[in-house]
Formats: sequence, structure tokens, C-alpha cells
Amino acid sequence: MQGGSSGIGYGLKYQARCISDVKADTDHTSFITGTLSLREENEVHLIRLSSGGTELICEGLFSHPNEIWDLASCPFDQRIFSTVFSTGESYGAAIWQIPELYGQLNSPQLERIASLDAHVAKINCVLWWPSGRHDKLLSIDDENLFLWTLDCSKKAAQVQSKESSGMLHYLSGGAWDPHDMNAVATTCESSVQFWDLRTMKKTNAIERAHIRNANYDMKKSHILVTAEDESGIHIWDLRKPKSPVKELPGHTHWTWAVTCNPEYDGLILSAGTDSTVNLWQAPISAEDKATSESITEPLNQQADPLLNSYSDYEDSVYGLAWSSREPWIFASLSYDGRVRTFCNSGSQKKHRYIALNH
Amino acid sequence: MVERAKMATDDIPLDDKAKRMRDLLSSFYYPYHGSSPKAHSNYENLDSINSASFNPEHYMNLLVQKSNLEELLRKHVEMAAEIKNLDTDLQMLVYENYNKFISATDAIKWMKSNIVGMEANMEQLLDKIMSVQSRSDRVNTSLFEKREHIEKLHRTRNLLRKVQFIYDLPARLAKCVKSEAYADAVKFYIGAMPIFKAYGDSSFQDCKRASEDAIIIILKNLQGKLFSDSESIQARAEAAVLLKQLDFPVDSLQAKLLEKLEQSLGDLQLKTNEIENVLRESNDPSKQGKGFDSVPGIGHEVSVHGFAEAIRAYRVIFPDSESQLIKLAQNLVIKHFEMTGQRVKRRISSTNFLGALRAIWDDVLLMDGVLSEAALSNFSLEVAHATVKKYVASTFTYLLQDISDALLKVKVSPKEAAEEHPLQAALEASKKTVLQGSMDVLLDFRQLLDEKLGLLVKLRAFIIDWVQEGFQDFFRSLDGCFLLLSGRKNSSSQDQGFSEGALGEKVLAGLVLVLAQLSVFIEQTAIPRISEEIAASFSSGGARGHEHGHVFISGEICQLFKLGGEKLLHHYINIRTRRVSTLLRKRFTTPNWVKHKEPREVHMFVDLFLQELKAVDSEVKQILPEGLLRKHQRSDSNGSTNSSRSNALLDDKMSRSNTQKARSQLLETHLAKLFKQKIEIFTKVEYTQESVETTIVKLCLKSLQEYVRLQTFNRSGFQQIQLDIHFLRTLLKENIEAEEAIDFLLDEVIVAASERCLDPIPLEPPILDKLVQVKLSKSKEHNLVKPPDVGR
Repeated sequence: MQGGSSGIGYGLKYQARCISDVKADTDHTSFITGTLSLREENEVHLIRLSSGGTELICEGLFSHPNEIWDLASCPFDQRIFSTVFSTGESYGAAIWQIPELYGQLNSPQLERIASLDAHVAKINCVLWWPSGRHDKLLSIDDENLFLWTLDCSKKAAQVQSKESSGMLHYLSGGAWDPHDMNAVATTCESSVQFWDLRTMKKTNAIERAHIRNANYDMKKSHILVTAEDESGIHIWDLRKPKSPVKELPGHTHWTWAVTCNPEYDGLILSAGTDSTVNLWQAPISAEDKATSESITEPLNQQADPLLNSYSDYEDSVYGLAWSSREPWIFASLSYDGRVRTFCNSGSQKKHRYIALNH
Repeated sequence: MVERAKMATDDIPLDDKAKRMRDLLSSFYYPYHGSSPKAHSNYENLDSINSASFNPEHYMNLLVQKSNLEELLRKHVEMAAEIKNLDTDLQMLVYENYNKFISATDAIKWMKSNIVGMEANMEQLLDKIMSVQSRSDRVNTSLFEKREHIEKLHRTRNLLRKVQFIYDLPARLAKCVKSEAYADAVKFYIGAMPIFKAYGDSSFQDCKRASEDAIIIILKNLQGKLFSDSESIQARAEAAVLLKQLDFPVDSLQAKLLEKLEQSLGDLQLKTNEIENVLRESNDPSKQGKGFDSVPGIGHEVSVHGFAEAIRAYRVIFPDSESQLIKLAQNLVIKHFEMTGQRVKRRISSTNFLGALRAIWDDVLLMDGVLSEAALSNFSLEVAHATVKKYVASTFTYLLQDISDALLKVKVSPKEAAEEHPLQAALEASKKTVLQGSMDVLLDFRQLLDEKLGLLVKLRAFIIDWVQEGFQDFFRSLDGCFLLLSGRKNSSSQDQGFSEGALGEKVLAGLVLVLAQLSVFIEQTAIPRISEEIAASFSSGGARGHEHGHVFISGEICQLFKLGGEKLLHHYINIRTRRVSTLLRKRFTTPNWVKHKEPREVHMFVDLFLQELKAVDSEVKQILPEGLLRKHQRSDSNGSTNSSRSNALLDDKMSRSNTQKARSQLLETHLAKLFKQKIEIFTKVEYTQESVETTIVKLCLKSLQEYVRLQTFNRSGFQQIQLDIHFLRTLLKENIEAEEAIDFLLDEVIVAASERCLDPIPLEPPILDKLVQVKLSKSKEHNLVKPPDVGR
């Protein structure tokens, strides 16, 4: 497969922050991304990796009314996605549907299924349950957590429940546990909080400052990966929230995003404001619990967890997504609007991951 | 017969004649042996005349047939002569016999006549003998009584003498006691013992009691003698032997004695304790010289001497007490070493340690001389093995503690700004501690090795190993210690991990920097020197050899510290940038940027930022060396390949930008510039003032950019940022040797702000300059009143 270390590129018109894997599209490896431009007309791009895997093809281009701060594809319907947008002064979130016949239309308009308009503060993200069909949606703003019931056919979303994060806890984002549809982790300035959606109560918390991003391991339950401004990447076993099971050095500047591979556990991608994407191999095995030991161990005894560092970016990388169809492919998005997908396959490597994990 | 003889005489030569005669005669006298087998064999022939089976007829026939006349005649003459001879011989014999017979008859006749008178004489003799006998019997009986009496008297006298002896015994014993002739007394008493046994209960009761009393006194005295240390060993041995003779339970005595010995051992230890105290005092540098060998040592020596003597004595006294003595001696050695071991736990100089070892070894040798079966030297070797090992280990522990103490001084008194360069002082102090401490430690161990003490000579190989191992472990744990001090906490318990963030803030950033620089120092200076030193004096043949990998490997340690130093340096930068980052976060998340008011002055966060940088500057200037020329460095970090590649990127960017007509030209060039420099933003940090400072500034500015990108500004907000950055740029240029990357990052902040601005109209440069001037003069005033807060 072509691409190799420089990857396959695709340019957006404007700056952009978010990219999402279209999980529901089982026939193609596709990603969806949206631009972040304050003063221009923003666009949503549906990108597909060509069947040969040699180029990225724009499958659809739709205009979006405002700059997009967050974008997430619906895991069970490839035509549905959510965005969080801003006009500069106000924020909004909506669920969109790609029109069915967009191939034939000249300037297809996105169909707004529902507006998540109960927010008053700055909205940070909208979450779908990553593991399959679920009629609930989560949206997180600075102060509140909303659970929505979405009815696509009726094109309506209603707030089912809402909970305030509490005083002095400014939420910044969150992650929905793929193993438990009632468990959600939210990040705020000084901690990661865990919620039970049935009661909308906090169940647990990891006290740790400045977590930028959190991501659940898709394969192993109780494993959460977090990215922090200065201190890199931490892997947590949620049953033991006092200290991380593993630490990875992260990036030279902030580590902005982390994401776990949907197929191979221990394979982690991270993107940083130092304009690099790092691929880590950090298997959590039983004998590997004692992090501190492994760190103080002589270096030659431990394989370098950093498998690869993709540094060929021109600006900070904020967007990152694994393909769930072909889990050895990921897409990254740097602020200058360049989408790049990388294929780790080169079947050797794939086998290496498999061998490492099984 | 006659004829036969005649013929024989005729026949046989003359010299045979006598023999034949004798044969014949003897056959005559002993008829049974008349015909001897020899004769038979000799004269078998029928024609031999002398044989019994002689046949005259045959002989004659043979003779006549064989011989002629002449011969016959001569034969005849011969025979006749022989016959004649034989006849005369016969006659002679008869005569002789007859004569003998006659003389015998005469003798008998004479005897007969003499015997008649003898009988009467014999009768007389018998009578006389009888009378003599009777007389002697009479004398015997008459004397018997007297003799009996005398014998009785004699016996009584003996008895009396014995009785007298027994009666005298108490007095005599008393006398013996007085003159201390215990041996005699015991002899006497044992002599009298059977009598006392037989009659002790009756007649000699008093006597027995008295002498028993005396003996008890003797026993006491003997015991006293045995136990008294002033007596000579021989006397004591004798006393023991006497006691044994007196059936005194020696075993219990022995036990008692050994107990006493043990007690004296305890005293000995007490004394050594005193010595130890003295030792400790002599640890003061002022008294160092006196050390161990002075007065207390002598006292110790004497007491051990006493102990050795005692052992010798006991061995003489109780030959079977060996095992217990061995045990005692071993105990003593163990106690000695235990004491040394405890002393080793505290700080102790090698001379003192050596002194102690020497003293112990002397003792051991002394005891070994007395009690060679105990194999004390071997035994003590084993014990010393552990002690010396402990000593080596504790020396390293103290060295480690010294270093961390030296480092922690900074932490304890961070506020003592009176000292102008606390960090520098700490760095120098800790450098000195590391190097000097290590050298001292090596010197100490050298002393151990150079010592000719038998004990240490045997342990030599082990010591070498321990020292090497010790250094290896020491540096490992030093690295761990650094990590701990730096608050990275990795080596400490895990459940503290969650508070790491909080703790990390508390750790003095300067200390981390000191640690980083110290790591470099250790890697580049200390370790090579130490390994050199080790190679010089500790290389000769470790006991286990190199293949075990326990020995000192300077390369591995160097690597460890190199990595550790880098980590620490990064950690320092991290701590510093984190502080600024907090500052920036507050600045950017608090106001509503969309409703920002027109900028009137430079925001105070810039001041705070600059203050932080000043703090960094002062710390860095104390610790790190100045960098090489900037130009040189630049050409290092920015290779030609990089620049060509960035150009390519630029071109790419430019071509793409054509399609993006919306973007302003200014913005585009700014971006292009940034991309050109992008590679340089995060270069490898070096151990120089400039490198660390610029890295921190760059990281902070990058954070600033990222924060700006997260906000949306109105025109005033944008202008505020513009103003702040402008001011910052002016001051950074003044204070920090400007690197282009910093400039570009500053530009980039403005670019980011303009991108995130709804209405990006910049301030006019004159207004900018004016506001900046106002701020500058204000801060100058401020500085005159109050010097900048350098510390924190």
C-alpha cells in the first residue's frame, strides 16, 4: 500500500480541528471533518479512502452555517453526525443528516435533524455511544451534562436529564464508556469525573489537573487513557483510580488528543501541539501493573513504547481518528486544514501489533 | 669258629685286624647284635670266612679250584698264623675276666665284715636326733606366749599410731591450712578417709567432725584460690586437682567458673563499650589523631589478655571444658563484631574502623594462640565478612545522605536571600560532596586494602568486590534519590502518585535544575575520576570476577546519569512552563473576549510572565554554563536539509494559498515564516543558560498561541493581545537573547489572534508604541521603588 510514512493527504479550505471516523459505513473507510473558520463559509467534508487505498476522495461537501468546534459521526447511521458550532459569540449543537441524493444535487444542504439547544454555556462536545445503536446522546457544555433522547425518524431530540457539574468544575470534554452505556467520563480542570447516566450522579473521580482528552480502551473495560497538558499520557485502571497504571511521555508541547485503537488494545495514538502524532504501544498486562518499577528499570530492559512518531505536520494536530473498518488506518487533522491518513499495515507491522497483543 | 677266625686273620690285611677283633668281641658281649646288618652285607659271600653263612666246603672247593699249590701253601701258612693269634687273644680275654671276678669277690667279702658294726651306730644317731627334737619343741612352746604378746604389742602400737594420726589430723590440717600446704592436708585427709568411713560414726566422731571442718575450710580456701584471679594459674590448677581429689563436684565448679568467665567477658564488653565511647569522642576531628591506639586500647588489650590467660588456665584445669570455652571465645568475637557493626551503623572513619578491626584481630590472634581448636581466626573471618560488608554499605549510605543533605539545604532555606546565589552554592557544595565524598570513601577503602591485617588481607578480594558493587548501587540509588528529590516520585510508593501534581509544585524548581546539572557533573567528571581511581586500586582480582556483572560499570552509570540529567532538565523546564501555563490559562479563560473593552494598557499577565522568566534567568545563571556562540548553535540545529525542506513546504503552502483568496497576504507570509521555522521551535535542550531559557520561552509562547486559538476575540480583544505581545517582544528582546523562533512565535500569537478575531483591525503602530512606552516608564518607576522579585 502506498502512503508510507508521509501518508495520504487531503486539503481542507480552512483551518479545522475535528475529524471523525464514519463507523457506520461498513463498505468504505471514510472520515468526516469540518472546518473552523470564523469569518468564512464553513464546510463539512465527507472523505473516503479510495478502494486501492492510494488517495483520499471527497465524497461529499456540504456547507455548514458556523465554524465547527466538534464533530462526531453517528455510530449506527453513516448519514448522521453531530456538530458543535460557534458564531463567535454564541454556541450551538445540532444533529445533521446528509441528504440521500446528494450525489445528484448541485449544492446539497445538510438536513438538520435536531438542535441540541438547551445549552446556555459554551458547548464542548456531543457524544454518541460508540458501541452501537443507542437512542441516547450526550452533550457537554462548560457547566452541564445533558442526556438527550434522539428520535431520528421524528427528527426530534429531547433532554432526558441534565446535571450540573458543580461549582468550579468547568467541563472540557468527555468520553462514553464503550463497554457500559450508562457510564461516562467527563474531563474538567482538576479532575476526571465518572457519571452514572441512570442516576446522573458522579460515581468516581480521578484527581488530576489539566486533562485535555480522555478515551476508553475499546477492547478492555476499565481502561481509560488521558492526555494532559504537560505531563503526557496516562493510562488508568478505573478500579484503581489513585495512580495511573502506565505513563507515556506524550509530546514536547501539549498532548491534545488521545485515541485507542478499536481493534488492538494497547495501541494508542496521540496528537500534540508540537505538530506530531505519536503511535504508542502500551499493553496493559497483569504483570505490568507496577508502573513505577517499569519506569525505574534500566532502559534497555523495556522496549520503547513509542512505535512511531509522525512529525510531518505544519501546525498543531487537533483531530485524530482510527478507522474502525480498517483498524490499522488512522486519519489526522492539523490546524492548517490538512487531513492525512496513515496506514500502519505494511502487513508486517499489522502482524507485529497482533503478535504483541495476543 | 676258631678256624673261621684263623682264616680271617689269614685273609684280611693287618690294619683291619684290630677292628675285626673288636667286632668280634663286641658280638660276643652283645649277642643280639652279633650279626650286624653291615656284617651281612660285607660278608655275604659264602666264601667270606667271617660271615655266619660261611660254607667251609664251598670255600675249600673254590680255593682249591682257583689256586695253585703255591698259593694254597701260602694260604695255609697265613691261616695257621691267624688261628694262633686268635687263640692267644682268647686266652687273654679269659684271663682278664677271671681277674675281675676274683677282685669282686674280694670286695664283697670285705664289705660283709665291715657292715656288722654300723647298725648300732645308726641306732645311736637316731636317739640323739630324737632328743634334739624334743628339746627344740620345748623351747618353742616356752617362747610362744612371749612372742605372741610381742606381736600383739606391735600391732597395738601401729593402731595407736594411726589413732594418734587421726587424733592429730585436725590439728595437722589446721597447721596445713595455716601454712597453705593444702596438698599435704588433702593427702592426710584422704589417708584417714577409710578410718573415718569405718569408725566415723562411733569412736572418732569428734575427730571426724573436726577434720571435716578443717577440710571444709580447705575446700573453701581451695575454691577461693581457684576463683581468685590473683593466684597463679599453676596454683589454681593445683587447687582444682586437689578439689577433684576431695571428690568435690568439679563439674558444677567448672560451670560456675565458666559463668564467672562469661561474666568477666561481660565486663570486658562493658569496658569495650567505654572504649567505644572514647572512640566516638575521638571521632571529632579535633581528637582524630589519637584514635584507637591510645589509652583505652591498652586497657582493652589488658582485659583481653586476662581473658586469654583465663582460657589457658581453664584448659589446664578442666581439660574437658574446651567446647564451652570455644563457645565463649566465639561469643566474644561475635560480640566484638556486633559492637563494631553497631558502631558502623553510625558514622565512623576508616581509621577508627581499622583500629577496631585491628583490636579485634589482635584479640582473636591472642585467643587463637590459647585455644587453637576454636579456629577463631576462621570464625572471625566469617563474622568479619559480614561486618566489613556492612561497613562498606553504610559508608555508601552516609555518602548518599551527605549528598542529599547538601542538596536539601536549598530546600530548607529558600528564603535566605541574603546569600546571593543559594542555588550556585548548593550546586558547588553538592558537587564537592559527590566528588570529595567519593574520593574520601575510596581513600577509606584504600586504607582497608593497604592494611596488612591478616583479617583484611583475607577479605581483600571481597572488599574489592563490595566497593565496586557499592559504587554501582550507590550511583543507582543516587539517581533514584535525585528523582525523588525532583518530585517525580516514580521511585516512591505508587499510591502517592495522585498527589504528584500538587507535590511537584512544591518542589523547588531550582533544586531540579541543580540536580540536572549535578547529574551532568557526575556523568562527566565524577564517574570518570572514580572509575579511574577504582581501576588504579581496586581492580586487582575481585573474588567473583567480572562475568557476574556486579562490579562497577562506569558506562552504565554514565548512561543512567546522562538520561537522568536530561529528564531532570526537562522536568525543570516542565515545572517552569507549567507555572506560566497556569498563569496564561487564567488570563485567557477568565474574561469574555468577545466583549472586551478597548486596550488601555499592557495587561499585568505580561509582567507576571516576565517575572517568571526573571526567576528562571536567575536560577539558570547560577547553575548552568553560558552557551556557545548562538550563531554556531543555530547552524547546528538547523541543517541545510531542513531549510530546503521548509522551502518546499513554503512553496506548497503558497500554491495552495492561491485558492484560498480569503486569506490576507500578511497572514500568509506570517504563516509561511512560521512554517519555515517550525522545525526549530522544539530543538534539543542543552545544558546552557540560553538553551534552557529559550526553550522555556518558546514553550510558553506556544502555549500562549494555543490559548489564543481557543478563544474568539472582538476587535478590542485582538488589540489587547497585540499590545501585550508587542510589549512582551520589546522586553524579551531586552532580557533574553532573542532567537528567531521566539520572534516568529510572537508573530504567530498575533496571527492566531487575528484569525480568531471577528473584526481583526490592528492598532496603529504609534498608539502601540505609546502604550508600550507608558508601560515601560511605569515599570521603571516600579523597579526603582521595589527591586524585581527575583526569588519567586
